Amino acid sequence: MRLLELLTSDDPDIRNQDLASVCTTSSWDELLQACAALDQFRRVEDNLYLRVRCLFFLHAIYRYHLPEREELKREGRIPYASVLHLHKRRFEEAIEECLATQAEQGLSDPLASALAELYHQLAFQQLADQVRRSVRASRGNQWMFRLGHPLDQGLSLRPELLQASGKGLYPLLRERTPVRMDLSHSGWSDIFFLGMDYPEGARVINVSIDLALRGRDREPTAPVEAYLRVIDEPVLRLASVDLGVQADLSELRDVFDFAKDYLGLLKAAVIASGIVPPGLEGSGSSLQELLQRMVGPGKGLELVSRVNHIPKGSRLAVSTNLLASLIALCMRATRQTESLDGMLTEAERRIVASRAILGEWLGGSGGGWQDSGGVWPGIKLIEGCEAGEGDPEFGISKGRLLPRHRILDRDDVPDSSRQKLQESLILVHGGMAQNVGPILEMVTEKYLLRDAKAWEARQEALTLIDEILVALQEGDIRRLGEITTRNFEGPLQEIIPWASNRYTERLIAEMREAFAEEFWGFWMLGGMSGGGMGFMVAPGRREEACDFLQQHMQQAKEDLQHALPFAMDPVVYDFRINEKGSFCECLTGDTALMPVSYYAQMLPDWVRSDPRDLSAARRAELLRLAEKSRQGTEFASLVPTLFTQLLPQSDVSERASGLENLLKEIGFDSLQQEEVRQKLQSGKLGLARNRLPPTTRIEDVEPAGLPRSDALSPEAARRGAAALAAGEVAVITLAAGTGSRWTQGAGVVKGLHPFCRLGSRHRSFLELHVAKSRKTGLEHGCMPAHVFTTSYLTHDPIAETLKRTGNFGYAGPLHLSKGSVVGVRMIPMLRDLLFQWEELPQQLLNEQAQKMQESLRSALLGWARSAGEGGDYRDNLPAQCLHPVGHWFELPGLLRNGVLQTLLEERPQLQWLMLHNVDTTGASLDPALLGQHILSGNSLTFEVIPRRLADSGGGLARVEGRLQLLEGMALPREELDVELRYYNSMTTWIHLDSLLSLFGLTRSELGDSEKVAGAIRSLGAQLPTYITLKDVKKRWGHGQEDVFPVSQYEKLWSDMTRLPEANCGFIEVNRLRGQQLKDPAQLDSWVRDGSAAWVEALCEFGE
Amino acid sequence: MKLDCAVITAAGRDQRDLPLQSLVDRDGQSRSALAILLREVQEAGIRRVGLIGHPGAEQRYLEAAAEFQDLIEFIPQAEANGYGQALYLARDFVGSSHFLHLVGDHLYVSDTSQGCARQLVDLAKTEDCSVSAVQSTREHQLGLYGAVGGQKVTGRERLYKVEVVREKPTPTLAEQELVVPGLRVAHYLCFFGMHVLSPGIMECLERELADREQPLSLSTALNHLVQQEQVLAAELAGSRHNIGMDYGLFYAQLALGLRGVHREEFLGGIVNLLAAVPGGRG
Repeated sequence: MRLLELLTSDDPDIRNQDLASVCTTSSWDELLQACAALDQFRRVEDNLYLRVRCLFFLHAIYRYHLPEREELKREGRIPYASVLHLHKRRFEEAIEECLATQAEQGLSDPLASALAELYHQLAFQQLADQVRRSVRASRGNQWMFRLGHPLDQGLSLRPELLQASGKGLYPLLRERTPVRMDLSHSGWSDIFFLGMDYPEGARVINVSIDLALRGRDREPTAPVEAYLRVIDEPVLRLASVDLGVQADLSELRDVFDFAKDYLGLLKAAVIASGIVPPGLEGSGSSLQELLQRMVGPGKGLELVSRVNHIPKGSRLAVSTNLLASLIALCMRATRQTESLDGMLTEAERRIVASRAILGEWLGGSGGGWQDSGGVWPGIKLIEGCEAGEGDPEFGISKGRLLPRHRILDRDDVPDSSRQKLQESLILVHGGMAQNVGPILEMVTEKYLLRDAKAWEARQEALTLIDEILVALQEGDIRRLGEITTRNFEGPLQEIIPWASNRYTERLIAEMREAFAEEFWGFWMLGGMSGGGMGFMVAPGRREEACDFLQQHMQQAKEDLQHALPFAMDPVVYDFRINEKGSFCECLTGDTALMPVSYYAQMLPDWVRSDPRDLSAARRAELLRLAEKSRQGTEFASLVPTLFTQLLPQSDVSERASGLENLLKEIGFDSLQQEEVRQKLQSGKLGLARNRLPPTTRIEDVEPAGLPRSDALSPEAARRGAAALAAGEVAVITLAAGTGSRWTQGAGVVKGLHPFCRLGSRHRSFLELHVAKSRKTGLEHGCMPAHVFTTSYLTHDPIAETLKRTGNFGYAGPLHLSKGSVVGVRMIPMLRDLLFQWEELPQQLLNEQAQKMQESLRSALLGWARSAGEGGDYRDNLPAQCLHPVGHWFELPGLLRNGVLQTLLEERPQLQWLMLHNVDTTGASLDPALLGQHILSGNSLTFEVIPRRLADSGGGLARVEGRLQLLEGMALPREELDVELRYYNSMTTWIHLDSLLSLFGLTRSELGDSEKVAGAIRSLGAQLPTYITLKDVKKRWGHGQEDVFPVSQYEKLWSDMTRLPEANCGFIEVNRLRGQQLKDPAQLDSWVRDGSAAWVEALCEFGE
Repeated sequence: MKLDCAVITAAGRDQRDLPLQSLVDRDGQSRSALAILLREVQEAGIRRVGLIGHPGAEQRYLEAAAEFQDLIEFIPQAEANGYGQALYLARDFVGSSHFLHLVGDHLYVSDTSQGCARQLVDLAKTEDCSVSAVQSTREHQLGLYGAVGGQKVTGRERLYKVEVVREKPTPTLAEQELVVPGLRVAHYLCFFGMHVLSPGIMECLERELADREQPLSLSTALNHLVQQEQVLAAELAGSRHNIGMDYGLFYAQLALGLRGVHREEFLGGIVNLLAAVPGGRG
């Protein structure tokens, strides 16, 4: 069958066929021809979804199906011009470059990787563009984009909001909006792209709920609140009570500057509601003129948000519903709703929802189409609907952007069912914070490729939603629990295994054990588990189960906090179904006061200001407030709060002493730090100085010059096997890192992160490496010694885990080697920030995200300037202020801390080490590779892999005629990054005595700590010191996070190849063995391309 | 269709004095706005005009009507209670006839020899139904008028079948409900301040007024009327001028002057005035 038929056939059986099934039966030539035909097709096809699906086909063929074939050349080059185009998001030009190279030189693995990535990104860009176009083209939104001058503003404020009371208080509008929980999203079918392509499969049951934090709040209330009123100053005053920030905007450009402060959501609402329409951006108009036209001369608006301390990552769509609430409020104030107060009409809810999508797009975020469900009342069935004539999507996509909401009435879900649901369900926030974005991309891709298992699972999820509806109608909550559990354990994890994790599974198992038959079920809220989750129990045991969960979640969090990214302590919610949806009241006269927390935030500034500067309205407000607090209402608590606010107790000194203690404990070398700081501040060290001089002669390596792992002699395998059997080998796993890319700087111990389900359960990287050593030991009759190198960040959690698990049941010698060299992170130099952002190749983001980034960068430059360039970074938790100083120090650490000596005492015959990164999952004690190293006579043999597009950061090169590994930071020209065909996998085979001799040491001298320290210092001085910028997260408030780029310095292991006296060799290994896992987004393709299964086969988990 | 009476509303608090303003009409005669309006009505073949106004203003209106005062039957509205309520006061006056309705704060300047009222009355008689005069209006001015949504009548120029009527809609609502195919982008059909209405409008007003305390707009009642009988909208050859807006009287005078017998003299005056202004705001 021709691949094109899968796209164009009218027969659903053909159209919904798995791409893989067709590819596996096609020859190499047929696949190449199919790629050419598909590329042609996507260029001429008008239908967006055919085009996008075609792009995903191309991606999958180049990423998975062609690399499997023998015919594919392993080595080749990616044209640098295509990389430059990619950075600028000019995907079409980049694809052209790659295809021209393919025509000229034939297809190679690197080129296929580049084409796969380019088609993938082009597909997502086209999808995102379409969502944006659809939102803009929605009726009711179009006018906002064509309005370009304040005089063209057709909105004005409702006159009643301009009528101040006798005491001078303006009426206050208060919108209260519930959040939403989804009983099922039918396999993430609420992703816009799915709903627009497969409307019949897009179905969600969505419930609007009020929340209370168990033990803190009296009763559940609508957790999202927004307030609006007229003020007698010509500014737009925005305040977020939860985040404790406020700003008076007087310039139009500030309204469009989203990353300047934490008020992006409020700004997005002001824009998306049409008060400051998006068309005004960059018009050069005046905000005051606009306010004067809408509100009146000298007057402005104040908009306040409050979410009642519901933390981020709750999977309850808090931010989307807050945005919708703010938009609804702004629309009410400007006569865009029929009624100023009360509930919204269906037509109004729809426009609010569509504008919330617009607002999310403006703010650079994005949710699903069901997320603004809190605007609607009660329980809803939300379904995709086909685009008809007159819809902006008609002729472009099958479905409409906005779904249809059917509010389920009492016949669908009787009151008794609603009551029963509330009596059984326990809502929690497990405390984990994870980025759900990669999951949504994986879902979209699998859907468009019609991945057979995922497609089957999707169909099953669609039948489950009907079963849920029946269970709800019949009030059978036990059955409901059974279905949602089945959904989670079946279709959801079949589509995306990463939806679950060890934490969630532990909680489910504990609930099952404790409540047995009376644990009715689990459900995952939103995109993934670990944050918002639901547990259902028999009504009589709900209270007990709430306590149980609170306690067990906390315990599980404590046990796993180093392994999984937790942002906060777990909490249990009380909830109630909200039958009103978004609801507004107009508070007038004496009741027109903001919530107490607003005043707690604002009062200190007001009190500090000169009374004569207070406006009439504010004076009236203060008088009224004083009256209220005297009456002993909730406002009475303001007085003590005011004192606390006026005289805040700083935790800076507390933190500083914590850091000092930690440094003392680690044995921090302040002299070394000062030396680096001095060089950094004087410009001797810096990002630009990491590079080799531009005149350095750097050449690529000819493939014929390297041995290959698939062409090794039987003799090598025999020699390696003999060494293994004799116990001459040890594994060194570098586990000092915290996986900054894996959890975006959340400080999780990467080695302990249970990243994938292997051999029946989630396994951490360390467990995996031990399992490989176990299998090697079983096969060769001697368990190899295994060492994990650790750092101050990872040592204790790893030691504790090994203790708890009995070294994961490993029978061989297993040691921890604690690294003692640390650095204190430093405030970056402006020149380094600018170098990073302006000189180094940067990925241009989509239009809105790019704007956000630029605005954020300008704020970060301001931060670095004011915090003091090159100074210590201390404004964070002590552990977040320190950094490991590069993996070079990890091996010398073994010499210094006595671990090597201990090993040699246990295994005097030890001769060979295999050193590898914790995330190189395929690194194993392969006898042939070991034998090859032994036979080569090299001191060090480095494993390299043919480069793919994603392998950025140096490689193997001939530098001034000498073969060595070059770090990306040292490359004097960016294009070298793609010109070097081999990438460093970091796995290194080491001859122990040769290594010691490089340090100028012998085995017998390892006990002489002074000599060892001197030897390390002396060798280290011969290696370059790099300055790098790393992102570090600072957590604050309720699950809020900021990311700061900080400077740190490093020495790197691969620079051992720069030492002229080191006798280094290199060997080419395949990707299965050499691939490093740096980002959770890689996981899905790691499973799909067979890597996971390959690695699993290397393991023996010993269970 | 019997169509010999008109109703002019002038009872709004802000518009009571507007009909009394003096302008020079196309013939070069100085007349009150009310007299100009009455002349327009008379030329359309109307013989009786119900003028709804504040009780104390009757005498002043009669004086301002000058030679047309015989047409007038004054209908007092004791409380300024909304446009819909005002119009409803004329239910006995119009009886079971269609009637022409104009607002007292507008003046109309025709582009042809036939006045705007004449054009509208003729059309209504031909079509035998209610017809509202409309003008294509840019969206930022929607907040000033009632507006209609509908479809063009096949084969006819500038004539529309009304499907929905909304009072002072926001651009958001207008884009959802009032887009009329064939109009310029961002333009809507807004009321011209002149309608021929069937007696059915009085029933609609009555129904709406029955349980309402808030002021009622004509648009709300008209929206009901279009659900029960055919209502058309027509773009007339002429322009409307709201003399109650800032500079409204001035623009109305400009329009009259530029089309009047003293056009040359009038133009000359404007040119001299422009030449004497030093330029810019200052």
